[in-house]
Amino acid sequence: MLSRLKAKVGSVLLPGDEFCLDTTGADTISLAGPSKANKVVCGPGLRRSGDRLLVYKSGLLRHKEPNMFWMDAQHKRYVPAKGETVIGIVTSKSGDVFKVDIGGSEQASLSYLAFEGATKRNRPNVQVGDLLFAQLIVANKDMEAELVCVDSAGRANGMGVFGAGGLLFRVSLGLARRLLAPQSDLRAELEQLFPCEMVVGMNGRLWVKSTGVQRTLVLANLLESCENLTPVQRRQLFGKLAQGAL
Amino acid sequence: MKETPLSNCERDFLLKAIQEKKRLDGRQTYDYRKLKIMFGTDFGCCFVELGKTRVMAQVSCELVAPKENRPNEGIMFFNIELSPMASPAFEQGRQSELSVKLNRQLERCLRNSKCIDLESLCVVSGEKVWQIRVDVHMLNHDGNLMDAASITAIASLCHFRRPDVGIQGDEVTVYSPDERDPIPLSIYHMPISVSFAFFQQGTYLLVDPCEREERVMDGLLMIAMNKHREICSIQSSGGIMLLKEQVMRCSKIASVKVSEITKLIMKALENDKTARKAGGKCGFAESMPQERITALKKDETAVEMTDVTERANDIVLNAEVPPQTSQSLLVPLPGMGQVGKDLQNSWGIEEYYQDEEEAFNSDEDKQTMMEVGEKQKVHEDVVEISDSEEDEVVILQPEATDRAHKKTSSSSHLKEPAKSKKRHRK
Amino acid sequence: MSSFRCFVLCGNMAGLELLSDQGYRLDGRKASELRKVQARMGVFAQADGSAYLEQGNTKALAVVYGPHEMRGSRSRTLHDRAVINCQYSMATFSMSERKRRPHGDRKSTEMSLHLKQTFEAAVMTQLYPRSQIDIYVKILQSDGGNYSVCVNAATLAVIDAGIPMLDYVCASTVGFVDETPLADLCYAEESGGVSSLALALLPRGGQIALLQMDARLHQDNLEALMDAAMTACKGVSKVLDQVVRQHLQEASLATGD
Repeated sequence: MLSRLKAKVGSVLLPGDEFCLDTTGADTISLAGPSKANKVVCGPGLRRSGDRLLVYKSGLLRHKEPNMFWMDAQHKRYVPAKGETVIGIVTSKSGDVFKVDIGGSEQASLSYLAFEGATKRNRPNVQVGDLLFAQLIVANKDMEAELVCVDSAGRANGMGVFGAGGLLFRVSLGLARRLLAPQSDLRAELEQLFPCEMVVGMNGRLWVKSTGVQRTLVLANLLESCENLTPVQRRQLFGKLAQGAL
Repeated sequence: MKETPLSNCERDFLLKAIQEKKRLDGRQTYDYRKLKIMFGTDFGCCFVELGKTRVMAQVSCELVAPKENRPNEGIMFFNIELSPMASPAFEQGRQSELSVKLNRQLERCLRNSKCIDLESLCVVSGEKVWQIRVDVHMLNHDGNLMDAASITAIASLCHFRRPDVGIQGDEVTVYSPDERDPIPLSIYHMPISVSFAFFQQGTYLLVDPCEREERVMDGLLMIAMNKHREICSIQSSGGIMLLKEQVMRCSKIASVKVSEITKLIMKALENDKTARKAGGKCGFAESMPQERITALKKDETAVEMTDVTERANDIVLNAEVPPQTSQSLLVPLPGMGQVGKDLQNSWGIEEYYQDEEEAFNSDEDKQTMMEVGEKQKVHEDVVEISDSEEDEVVILQPEATDRAHKKTSSSSHLKEPAKSKKRHRK
Repeated sequence: MSSFRCFVLCGNMAGLELLSDQGYRLDGRKASELRKVQARMGVFAQADGSAYLEQGNTKALAVVYGPHEMRGSRSRTLHDRAVINCQYSMATFSMSERKRRPHGDRKSTEMSLHLKQTFEAAVMTQLYPRSQIDIYVKILQSDGGNYSVCVNAATLAVIDAGIPMLDYVCASTVGFVDETPLADLCYAEESGGVSSLALALLPRGGQIALLQMDARLHQDNLEALMDAAMTACKGVSKVLDQVVRQHLQEASLATGD
């Protein structure tokens, strides 16, 4: 099964495609491999059902060593997942919690104590309409999602209210993930273009700021157009821009 | 469903940009977005794209009894449908404030200006007249619905042909298009609405606001005009204070815009006519291959890419975003995924799709599968860790559950907050 | 009323001239002459503010409640200012034909919207965050210029309720016939195919809170028409000012010692 999975890496799969784990003839060739080696981890878009491995999202099959597989798709809808960092918009303050729109099916809640240095006395200064960079700590099917703006050590670690002077816009979740990837070509190319600040939420929200309104707008338009550009096209575009800007 | 709230950050940025005479899509203050007018197979079917705003209109007619006080006039009926399809903010069924506003404005723009000869729609005085019904459907909302609706409505009315009728004695016969050529409506003039958005108590003015600009604006002024510079209706909305000079200025801008748009509509009608004469294919079904009805198709957007100080570079920088000299043939329709034999995918992915799996070694594969199956048996207890609502992470072969847990959490594209919040400055 | 309506219809048919050679209109007014405006404030005890206003034969009652807490759906609350809730209705007997639905049809919903918009511009809503101000207006008799009469009546009612406004909001409907702007149209003129313009003005600053125009008019004539409307509005504002002063005097006399 592994090799078949691996062979499919990078190709488009549709919901309903399946890989058979094939338990029937198992005892014939069995003891060959070391038992540890072939552990398969299936991420988003793949599900195990009995002896089959089902695809339930359309997209590309991705693989990461040693044996991790997941489906990568250009979705627009965000489904909150625990641990992800997102950009939220504060929609209301009610009692001890802020309600935050994170683009999911319902609003997430954020306790006013979940900020660095916040105490009962010392409330954070958060206004309705502010942008927050926060991490999801509860994201279950049947429960309201919960956010925090501190890490486990109680420090802000880059989270909290931000956003003065920049522009927020939406991109597909795929593009957001591409920007966040540890070795992102796109990001590297952007870095060379001109100085900018960027905050990427896993929920497909993107905040950019550069020196001056015009540059910020250019940056936003660039990123939006990157959605459907091949690397070659993109490099051309960036090249053109770099020539002009220098 | 609720629409996404507008953050303070967006509001501040937009206002700041407007102050600097910049707009989100790189337009100038008085520019319209790209306007596209298309006609369907049927007479009186029209699609309009104004940037990302999409509107469709269909004109239909039927014979009805006239209104009592106007026995020899036909009846015009306008209806704008704000379907939830266009925006999550629109609700099904209910007559929202916006819908009333748009409907009334369209009525005023087209009916009260008497742009259509209603008396020519009379068949038998006091008994039978034509009722012309214009149904305008909003397909996608990206601001300035009114202008798009008025353009669509008038274009579809111009395109429409009603069946011919014959009267013998008391009998009224409606001829099918095969028997007698259908008749166009007699249209005196074409009123077109132009919207102006006001910001910061009327200090700044923009033509053709997009959705985000509409959410930030203080108020709107809609001026409907025809190319003879006759104002057909004016309507201000939203709590703004206008000054007389502003209204006069807007009316001057409107007259210019209206003549441009009228020309465009005439050209579109002309094109459609020639296409029809030539027997070419036209219509909705034909619009698929031409990318008329896909949201993912991409238009070229001109982006002004300089700071004001770097004016000299303007020409170089007014580059079109997708370069036309694309060497890669990978993207037949940008953004459209294609699935099937011999087709490429174009999901904007860096890696290229390789069609290799046809030739995999089935024997080897079987073997691995068996192996996996075998191990499955040994370790019956399968742990499922589900962090997300939908994205389940399944671990086959759970030997060290805690280790696996760690791995999944690092695998499923999660990172430390500091990492994912990427900030770099130069 | 019905005979009046008949006359109007005949007028239309015969192409009756709305402005005679001598410069007089159907009801004997000059082109820029307003109809007689009569008004009273504080006509109801229950409401926070109320007013009755007659402009010629058009009569309207306006009632204001608030500012108070949001009623009904709380979701409409604005966290930085007050919501203005308007309802426009026409009495069933206000026109020659009996009106079946006093409110809720497209035209009256639109009118409610316009009233709301007018007062959102004029009332200092930012002083009352998270609250609501109700303005109910009823037309008792309709003889043209319904919108303007409603606005004028509602202004008095808002003042009676003591809600701070930037200025009086005065409205007027003007028409354009034979190259002449006619101020304060009556029903006969309105239905006589005149291009009409309704304008709500804050007279002191000359700011326009609402502008609405129907029917065709050449661009070059717009300025003249707007000027006429603004003059008419300023005329109305003088009358309203007098009414308010008189009312306050009476009230202080009644309560004072």
